Amino acid sequence: MLAGMRRTVPLAVTCVGISCVLGFGAGERRAVAYESEVDASVAAQFYTFESPYGEPLLRRRRYTNTLGIALYDLQGDHSANGPVLSFRSRVRLDADLGQDPAERDATSSRFVPGLEQAPFDLMYAYLEGERYFGGAFGFRLGRQYVADVLGWWSFDGAEVALRTPAYLKFEAYGGLEQRSGLPMLTTPRFQADGVARGSRDDLRADQWTSYLNQSRVAPALGVAVETSDLWWLHARLTFRRVTNRDSVVVSPFLPADGVLRTYDEDRISTERLGGSLRLSPVSFASLAGSVVYDFYANLVSEQSLALDAYASSRLTLGADYERSVPTFDADSIFNWFSHSAVTSMTGRADVRLSRRLDAAVNFGARAFETRGDPATYATTLDETVVKRELDPFVMLFGRYRYSAGSVSLRSQADYGARGHRLGTDVTQRHEYARGYYDSLVVLSLYDFKDELRPDRYATSFSYVLGFGLKPGGLGDRARLGVEWEHAMNRLVGQRYRVLATLDLSVFR
Amino acid sequence: MRKRRDFGPWLLFCACVLALVCGLRAPVSAGAPAPDASALPASNGLAPLPNRAAIPERLRPPGAAPDDGGPSPVVFPAQTIGIRFDHARHVALGATCTTCHDRARTSHSSSDSLLPAGTRCDGCHGTNHRGAVVTASPDALSACATCHLDYRAEDGQRVLRTSLPPPHLRFDHAVHAERKIACAACHGAVGSLELATVDQLPRMRGCFGCHTSDTPNTGKPSRACPTCHLTEQGTLLVTSFPEGKLEPPAWLHDAEHGPDWLERHKRVAGDDSGFCSSCHAERFCTNCHDGRVSPRQIHPNDFLSMHAIAARQDSPKCTSCHQQQSFCLSCHQRAGVTMSGPVGNLTHQGRFHPPPAIWTEGPRGPGHHAWEAERNLNACVSCHTERDCASCHATAKVGGYGSGSTSGRHTDPHPPGFVTRCGRALRQNARPCLVCHDPADPELASCR
Repeated sequence: MLAGMRRTVPLAVTCVGISCVLGFGAGERRAVAYESEVDASVAAQFYTFESPYGEPLLRRRRYTNTLGIALYDLQGDHSANGPVLSFRSRVRLDADLGQDPAERDATSSRFVPGLEQAPFDLMYAYLEGERYFGGAFGFRLGRQYVADVLGWWSFDGAEVALRTPAYLKFEAYGGLEQRSGLPMLTTPRFQADGVARGSRDDLRADQWTSYLNQSRVAPALGVAVETSDLWWLHARLTFRRVTNRDSVVVSPFLPADGVLRTYDEDRISTERLGGSLRLSPVSFASLAGSVVYDFYANLVSEQSLALDAYASSRLTLGADYERSVPTFDADSIFNWFSHSAVTSMTGRADVRLSRRLDAAVNFGARAFETRGDPATYATTLDETVVKRELDPFVMLFGRYRYSAGSVSLRSQADYGARGHRLGTDVTQRHEYARGYYDSLVVLSLYDFKDELRPDRYATSFSYVLGFGLKPGGLGDRARLGVEWEHAMNRLVGQRYRVLATLDLSVFR
Repeated sequence: MRKRRDFGPWLLFCACVLALVCGLRAPVSAGAPAPDASALPASNGLAPLPNRAAIPERLRPPGAAPDDGGPSPVVFPAQTIGIRFDHARHVALGATCTTCHDRARTSHSSSDSLLPAGTRCDGCHGTNHRGAVVTASPDALSACATCHLDYRAEDGQRVLRTSLPPPHLRFDHAVHAERKIACAACHGAVGSLELATVDQLPRMRGCFGCHTSDTPNTGKPSRACPTCHLTEQGTLLVTSFPEGKLEPPAWLHDAEHGPDWLERHKRVAGDDSGFCSSCHAERFCTNCHDGRVSPRQIHPNDFLSMHAIAARQDSPKCTSCHQQQSFCLSCHQRAGVTMSGPVGNLTHQGRFHPPPAIWTEGPRGPGHHAWEAERNLNACVSCHTERDCASCHATAKVGGYGSGSTSGRHTDPHPPGFVTRCGRALRQNARPCLVCHDPADPELASCR
């Protein structure tokens, strides 16, 4: 019966989604000032992979369905630069019908904390107002994303933005960070890393003590100031702070008295300040840079600098520098493990040979900086010796676009002390009958070797064959697709994956 | 012993690529065949300059780059010009732009045709385009072939059509005319050329000359993208057209969507996501960054088998989409490759790490893992929970083997100089400290 229910729930959600789209499209058009859009996408994936030890075998029978509803121009008449009020939302069901029920049974030896069979989440849902008071004021209310130099993040709350005539825009936002474990249709995608969090309702206190309880919301606030309306300059300074409020276990080991110690004070989760800048005052070059400071770890966690020169309208030359030190949620002990930066230096050239044909090459090295020489490393870190290991890499890209499709090439060669990856993909997409049908062919050949695990090496060939069709009358608003993927190498033998997709969208 | 390499997959791959290339059909978009230059008579009005000479930069529209090949065909679809016309000669005879293109003064829409009707020519050319049948006087100036390309007498009333598809833009000529903006400010020196081609249409860079300034003579032109670009779904720019995708030029926010754009887009998006959201809705980003279908352009081939190498080489790229303590750890636990996972890979003594010869044996010691952790901590966090680490690193009083320089176990994982900066962290969040240290631990007290 349970198995039946597991199959019924996703199917029911799909039916609701598709019915929403079709019902929305089939209805009679009424004279309304606003525009609206409903779209649904369904993806079913079937593949299997096994542990490097042969067992367990994981069967993925994945089924993902998203349903988006949006309303535009709620303010009434639309003008190109006038106020705009809109609502956007999207929900998602991400089911894996191949899971072993024992993996979700807290009494089983196969239990994996936090694993759900069919998580249902609200990706975003917000009301947005733009360009009020002559373009000076805007707001967002609801679950929304923030994307800036501090990363891609999501919260439930409100954001207001004020644009001044002095080419500056001020933003402030506050609310609750989206976190797993809360009964708020959430995912763990946007919480800081370093700790596993979720609902411990089904667990004993001494089970999986490193899996921290998440039962209280995490308040968050942020402010930002950025330049606006200057096409040759964009700079943004942003600050964000998130607070942990849950009572969580500290030492994961059961003390003699059998009572695990907990910590329940309000405390920092993340507190970071970031700045970014892009400057292109001349027609032949652009300079960009960014820096992020983590107040809890007390260090500059990310910094980058990039210079691009437009040698001609067909050729761009660039050089990038990036340095990244991993930082974590302030609840995480990983903050206090000695760790170093990964520094990347990249040179690149982009050449547009014609409007249809372009190519690019990226090349450089990643530097791993550590204290102590691994060749002589024994039991303690020698802090007086700093060693840098360089991993060189090259990437080649090519793209030919024609009226009915494209052919693209992507090659990469990554070498280093921890292994190498060397390979090429060739992808062709083609449309037939003015887009009514389309096809996909991907050929891929890779050679890789894991230097830390001498048995993990292979030359792998894979191909993908895909076919899609857009039913008549709906144009780009509907597409049904099927893809067959087959990889073969000495590690997995033959690996197959089937992907079926259905996308529907109605805009009125 | 020399390893024997298997060339079978390489040969198979090469054969497939060859088959793909051979079978590739690359039809060019349908359209009128370009006239053969050598077949055209050497006469005025067939090209911008005699003998198809290159147009000097000073005559081209403001913002045109020397080798830009004309404006974007996505914004200005390909034109078919079925007449010859010598603008320079007409200007020399006293004509101005509005003599023929008078509708430019009053046009409010880019879809308005501003080409003069044939009747506009009648006054000078002695023709009569008013009726259903066009008539002409006998002199050469009136002959149909004077203007209409490839015209032959036996064609009667049939001439090549001139087709100037409307641009995929909003444009109000009347507003610009009211502000006394000269035609040349957008179109260049058409009056010095013979035939005006698509190359004389405006460039965005030229538009920015006014639309990013507040100079008195231009009023206060809006800087917002929808001022000129078509929009849908509220304020999103329309980017998909039959002619192709609308993409930003390199000089605009350094956002040229070249073939390696996937590798460098984060720099632009991280600085100014508002610029990205001019064209892309959230779902465009979530399809890759929070999607549930692995994007092949990022995870090629049998990525499951080689992802560990990728994660060690470029972990910052992984963490831009994947949470290590949820996405990575959960799957690693299910696959039995973690230390504390449910199956715990017991047959391999709970280790996925390299064999002792690589990982712990001389000259390396058992603590070699610390060096690896320092090198790339993200790789550790994708498999280990804090309990795994605390087992050894926590002090004995809270259940570990004993940490710290004074405990004698040499398992202190803290970075150099930690003592000088631990106080603030302890005040902000003491939880990670208490995982390993008893509240009364003297080493903890030193941070207070």
